[in-house]
Amino acid sequence: MSTALPPRTESSTPGRSGLPKQAKIRGEAQVWLTGMGLALALTLAAFLLWVIVSNGLAVFWPKRITEFTVRVGTQTTTIAGELVSRRELLTNEPGKPVVSEVHIFTGNKDVYKNAFRFIDAATIIAESQPLDLIEVERLEYGNAVGYPVALKLRGADKKIESIPAEDSRFPSELNRLISETNDRWDVIKSLEKGKIGANAQKIKRLENERKKIPAGEQGVLDADIAKLKSEYQELAKQAGVLRAKQNEHKLSIRLASGESKDILLGKIVEVFQPNRMGLLSRIGFFFHRMWNFVSDNPREANTEGGIFPAIFGTFAMTLLMSVGVVPIGVLAAIYLREYAKQGPLVRGVRIAVNNLAGVPSIVFGVFGLGFFVYFCGGSIDRLFFGDSLPTPTFGTGGILWSAATLSLMTVPVVIVATEESIASVPRGMKEASLAMGASKWQTIQRIVLPASVPGILTGTILAMARGAGEVAPLMLVGVVKLAPTLPLNTEYPFVHLDQKFMHLGFHIYDLAFQSPDSEAARPAVFATTLFLILLVLVMNLSAILLRERLRKKFKTSAF
Amino acid sequence: MTLLVDRFMTSFIRIGGIGIILAVFAICVFIILQVLPLFRSAQVEPVAAHAERDIGPLLAEGSLPVALGNDEWGDNPFILASDGKIIFGGGSAPTDGGNVTAGRRVTASSYDIKHQRLTIGTPTGAVIPVTINSKAVVADKVRTVVSTTNIGEALQVADKDAVVTSAGWVDHDDRRLVAAIVEQSGGRHLKVQYGQVDSAVVDLTNLLTGTPAQVLVEDHLDAILVISQQGDVTYLFRKGDQFSARQVFRPFADAKDQRVSSAFFLLGDVSLVMTNPEGINRQFSLYIHPGDSARRFGLTKEFEPLPAGARYGAISVRNKAFLVGTGHHASLRYGTSASTRWEEDLSFSPALGVINSKYTRMTFLGDDNRLRFFTLDDPHPESGWTAFFGKVWYEGFAEAKYEWQSTGGTDDFEPKLSMINLIFGTFKATFYALLFAVPVALFAAIYTAEFMHPRFKSVVKPTVEVMASLPSVVLGFLAALWLAPLIESRFPSVFLIILTVPTFACLMGFGWSKFSPAVRSKIPQGWEFMVLIPMLLIVSIIAWDLGPALERGIFTVKLDDGSVIADFRRWWTAITGLPYEQRNSLVVGVMMGFAVIPIIFTIAEDALSNVPSNLRSASLALGASRWQTAIKVVVPTASAGIFSALMIGLGRAIGETMIVVMATGNTGIIDLNIFNGMRTLSANIAVELPEAPHGSTLYRALFLGALLLFIFTFAVNTLAEILRARLREKYKTV
Repeated sequence: MSTALPPRTESSTPGRSGLPKQAKIRGEAQVWLTGMGLALALTLAAFLLWVIVSNGLAVFWPKRITEFTVRVGTQTTTIAGELVSRRELLTNEPGKPVVSEVHIFTGNKDVYKNAFRFIDAATIIAESQPLDLIEVERLEYGNAVGYPVALKLRGADKKIESIPAEDSRFPSELNRLISETNDRWDVIKSLEKGKIGANAQKIKRLENERKKIPAGEQGVLDADIAKLKSEYQELAKQAGVLRAKQNEHKLSIRLASGESKDILLGKIVEVFQPNRMGLLSRIGFFFHRMWNFVSDNPREANTEGGIFPAIFGTFAMTLLMSVGVVPIGVLAAIYLREYAKQGPLVRGVRIAVNNLAGVPSIVFGVFGLGFFVYFCGGSIDRLFFGDSLPTPTFGTGGILWSAATLSLMTVPVVIVATEESIASVPRGMKEASLAMGASKWQTIQRIVLPASVPGILTGTILAMARGAGEVAPLMLVGVVKLAPTLPLNTEYPFVHLDQKFMHLGFHIYDLAFQSPDSEAARPAVFATTLFLILLVLVMNLSAILLRERLRKKFKTSAF
Repeated sequence: MTLLVDRFMTSFIRIGGIGIILAVFAICVFIILQVLPLFRSAQVEPVAAHAERDIGPLLAEGSLPVALGNDEWGDNPFILASDGKIIFGGGSAPTDGGNVTAGRRVTASSYDIKHQRLTIGTPTGAVIPVTINSKAVVADKVRTVVSTTNIGEALQVADKDAVVTSAGWVDHDDRRLVAAIVEQSGGRHLKVQYGQVDSAVVDLTNLLTGTPAQVLVEDHLDAILVISQQGDVTYLFRKGDQFSARQVFRPFADAKDQRVSSAFFLLGDVSLVMTNPEGINRQFSLYIHPGDSARRFGLTKEFEPLPAGARYGAISVRNKAFLVGTGHHASLRYGTSASTRWEEDLSFSPALGVINSKYTRMTFLGDDNRLRFFTLDDPHPESGWTAFFGKVWYEGFAEAKYEWQSTGGTDDFEPKLSMINLIFGTFKATFYALLFAVPVALFAAIYTAEFMHPRFKSVVKPTVEVMASLPSVVLGFLAALWLAPLIESRFPSVFLIILTVPTFACLMGFGWSKFSPAVRSKIPQGWEFMVLIPMLLIVSIIAWDLGPALERGIFTVKLDDGSVIADFRRWWTAITGLPYEQRNSLVVGVMMGFAVIPIIFTIAEDALSNVPSNLRSASLALGASRWQTAIKVVVPTASAGIFSALMIGLGRAIGETMIVVMATGNTGIIDLNIFNGMRTLSANIAVELPEAPHGSTLYRALFLGALLLFIFTFAVNTLAEILRARLREKYKTV
């Protein structure tokens, strides 16, 4: 918005020219008060960023596990966990002693029912950080914390061989088996999602075709379908065998509180010993975890695992949106600036376009749902996807409609930025081109547009940043909590514009508000927020830098 | 060639450009088109295929039609004649459905469309329930409705010589409630059976006021209403097996003619619609009157008067609509909003009328014994101006209210769609956000433009722009999961910070100005904010730690057991009687304020910076201090720009969705309490639209909300933009 004003003249700071002689100056207190306004705004911004960044990064840092010995009455128990916070409970009754408590992450949700616990600090009689404690990241029930006991290997003859934790083979064998099972998961996934999925698709397509042809001629297809179905059986059997292999070996651990627990190796993502790690390995592990978070699929109602599909969805949608928004915005801007007769009408249109940027995003969402999804999508379904009705194909929210809705929402940003940069192309350049006999379009094509590319780029980046961070309209037109497949994959026809998708912003909303265990979801929300902010800030900063450079460039080239 | 390309591009860009701009405006048009059906009244047209059907030939000599019923689709209506014969009006020609009273005369009849039951009274003291079952058979895409009559076991409510003059019958599972008025040996009696098939029939005449004329049985078997010839209504309420008169009232006590000419329950059996012979049409609903403990009837709606008392009344089982008419006049009315959906003086005079249960057809039987079919197109009967913007007296409420509650658990639920709650919520959120944002943003803008050393500008402005780019979902999540619990547990600390920070800044400035210029030059002018940032942190930390002490000192509440507890939330509730919610307006105000600060700041700062510097120089040269220059010269000159900054900030706050969705409880209450939540237009859309069926009233009502948002923000922004344009013109001349 600010950019719509004419280029600023360097404003002078009046006070600088020297202090008045008399010591008494009117309004000095008020000046400080206004200064406080700025200080407050900046501090608040920095503080909020710090809250997000510190909480977000802390998620990946491997914390030490502390073992607490707690005595309540005559009973003594031990419990181990990562320290979340120590805090003093506010006493409500004046004069009562301060109660402090320790908030720890104990993990082992399957045993303890809850992964977090509060301990009254007064009952703790000892704290230690035993080096042997391990933390196991699992596919289900979150992390497990405990002492390793043994590795139970099942041989071919179903005999169980046990390698105790003291054995020198234990660590290497454990790591080897875990990486083996993890590799096997990849194989199983590619088998189930890739081959079996493609097979099922083919069967579905053939069966649809079969419905269309008369009953007498269906025999040709029947053979094909039967063949595919037997292939399917074969593949399913292969996957079944592999899956069974995942459950062969077990890691046996003893929890700090005494219970023993066997964990199937197939359910283990990794095992680490946070209390043995030095600073360097801690940093290494920090980045390793961060990478896993960015590249993994979510698990356990999105509270565990990674956010890869959300990042991918956000990128794909934003990209699709900019493909739509740039040509439209640039075309409209060229028309407004170069072709339309400048008068009150165009001025009015310009004001209106400008104001469209101020229309709430949710209104665009409402429009997108009514127009794109129900009207356009519904019509497409009736025309081209009549077979699968009443199940909608395009008549329901999807990535295409989301992108279209957001393009409409961000088009004013591009129009304003482009117009501004077209306007700042020096008149002389245009006139020179016209004087040399170039046509109007040639002038625009060769002179005006190249000169305004940085401006268009700035507008595009700003539009993308706005689109990437927007959630409200997407909730209406196609974002989902968990999308089974990416909108771009190896399945025919590869690009699925009708598919629903995941989005970082919605992921945050969903984790924070729809999650069954909000305490467990908290780290994931902060981490996701960190990445969304990173994405949006990088885009915005690059747009700002680009614009600054642009301003300088035109300052010198204007004549 | 070049010319051709040029001409092509010219027209292409022209068409494309105009098209795009039109498309952008089409948004508004599209939304309006979605909203318009809400304000349309019902469309009633004769059915083209079979507009009229004569049942006269099937009526026996001297018998008259006494009741009219309809199947679900409205294809095969049925008529009960006074000799007990059923006539079906559908198919290619009317057909005889047989006699359901074994030849006895029909002296009383009532039709319950919800259960498709005709209750028939005979001159032999019997009440006969007759159910009409209809089902649709579709062959070759043509629907044929086949109906059968099912005559239930008659109940002998009185002696064989008693004439039943009015009867009602309800049964659920194995329990039933049957009530009848019988005329016997010159007097009228109320006979009631409650319980099983073989329960005793009791005489409740002694509970009544006046001579009973009509009896209505409530669908939940809880009550019987008896209307007397004089115009009294006796409300008999059942407790266990016993009935007692809970209320006697005269609905038309203030009218010239106090008699009741027609009375029936609306869907849900909570509201009673009545007309008197003059045509006054009123609705009485059950609710708990102030100071009372049980539900009693009270006048809630006054409809437009009819020309005379209604001859027939029929209800819809989809909604609270009903059909009444007298003479040639027929009208379809809606109970909740007391509005007339459709009215017409028909070309014939209907004796009976009925709506089908799909609410798509109306059927009339004229005095000429002709059945006439009309299509009814009224997809949004519950909407209308009153429903969205007026106070509505909903069933069960003790007064007319603004209320938003779009869905409920039962069929007879009335959707409550008042936009007023949402508009109020929107402005409440906006108010608190601006309360925080405006001072901070304007102070910051004035300082940046007027007092700050220009060196910092290239840092401060991008920082603020980055602040503006924080996605609102992030702010909302921080507000809900971080700020809300923080404020809840430490409000006294927050309160202290709000109080001390500005005070401290003022004192600091005041104190600083007392020092000699030599000392003052230690902090160069334009650097003050750099000093203030650490100071601010220190003051905040101190205030934060002092908070609990303040709480113990001031915000203490004495509990019932005598102990004193320091808890701000309880203190607030005890002092003001208002609730404290964790996700409240304060949280929204702070976070949304934070979202709005950069917008107001940027535009206001631009407006201030663009004030020509010769004005400043002149003012300073005349000896004004920098504050005097800023406040007396620069700010007034840029006032239009500052105003437009506020307007644009306002527009943003009004439309903000995610912060409000996440940081408030989204309850649609009208309440200014800062520690309570609200439901805004935008949050309402985000929460409800994904679940709203396409084309339903709720769907369109949400579009109406979007339209309101659109219009409001567009108007505010246009105003701001025009002001800014003016300002720019003004600077040109200075």
